[in-house]
Amino acid sequence: MSEGKGFRRFLDSALEFLYGMAGHDMTRFALKTRGSMEHLFILITMGDMLGVPILPPYYSLRILPYVVPQIATWKRRMLRERDLTDALA
Amino acid sequence: MSLAKVFEEHPERRYIEFGGKGGLGKTTLSAATAYWLAKKGYKVLVFSVDPQASLSDIFQRDIFGKGAVEIIPGLFAQEIDADKRIKEYQDEIRRKILDMYGLDKVPDEVERYIQAAAAEPAMEESAIFDQVVDIVVKGDYDYYIYDLVPLGHALYYLSMATVYDQWIDKITKLRQEMEEYSKVASIMQRKKEFEEDKILRELQEIRYRINTSSSILTDREKTAFFFVIIPEEMAILDTEKAAKLFAKYKVPISGYVVNRVLPPELESQNIPEYLRYRLEMQKKHLATIKEKFGDQVLAYVPEFERDITGLDMIHRVAEVLFGKID
Repeated sequence: MSEGKGFRRFLDSALEFLYGMAGHDMTRFALKTRGSMEHLFILITMGDMLGVPILPPYYSLRILPYVVPQIATWKRRMLRERDLTDALA
Repeated sequence: MSLAKVFEEHPERRYIEFGGKGGLGKTTLSAATAYWLAKKGYKVLVFSVDPQASLSDIFQRDIFGKGAVEIIPGLFAQEIDADKRIKEYQDEIRRKILDMYGLDKVPDEVERYIQAAAAEPAMEESAIFDQVVDIVVKGDYDYYIYDLVPLGHALYYLSMATVYDQWIDKITKLRQEMEEYSKVASIMQRKKEFEEDKILRELQEIRYRINTSSSILTDREKTAFFFVIIPEEMAILDTEKAAKLFAKYKVPISGYVVNRVLPPELESQNIPEYLRYRLEMQKKHLATIKEKFGDQVLAYVPEFERDITGLDMIHRVAEVLFGKID
């Protein structure tokens, strides 16, 4: 029994190790891409918050509650200045 | 073909619309049709999507923003109060935000957006449009009679629906793609549960509402659209143009009703020259109407000697349109 548990723990550690080596980067990339898309999405739906009216706002309002937490970071990202180093990030 | 016959031959057409230039009698004909159907034993809702609705005036009762009000047994009338609807909608959004995040005040920035959004010009139309969906989807009535806004607005409605639909389509795709990335991340991190995207669900709901509201206007089977015209040059030309545009948006046009026709028996009476000229003019335009729209003209309604307000006058108009009412 205890041997089985030990093996299980070893397997878990091995998997975590593998994840750290290979998977973590992929996950990071996936989440980063998703984050950019999220910001794009907010721009399309809530653009008039930055003075870019894209969509009649009736239905934007329906989506608004779901993006409330992201609005601050979204605005910061959209409005911040950019330079060459951004391309490297 | 008569108007009554159109209704008898197509009992499946439950969404009835009267469209035409402003001031030609859309409200009058909507009210008279609703009255006739109610007298025949149907449960009818006549409602106005016009911010400057006049159903209250014609029924001589204040029904603005009061929901569906029963006028006579079976006949309900409703004027949508867009401002009130927008206020309720804003409150709904605020409440949702407070509930979702356990806040006791909507963040300033978000609050400003909610207020600014309500001031947009398209807001009123969208709000009314959206409420129509609620009314019609409930399905409480046998017939729904739209007292449509003047032509330009109605076309704006329809084109808006098309644009919205395409827009939703695009962002739904974007959203789905985003969901793919989230899935990849949660599989890599070996998370058992994957949280479903609530925004995607919301988008699908929005799309359903838009499609429902525009299909009410354009459903070939269930919709009957009637144009109201008067024997005057401008009205005829405008209607012709509008009919072409409506056909483009696939609105099923069921026929034309000619309103405000001077009684021809006047001609044999001793009338002033002014009136004789008017009669001549109308005669000419009636011939044009006959030539252009032919047997699509379903009824001729005379110019009455007094305003059409109140049930007695509506009764008279309904009899002209559909025949004797017992």
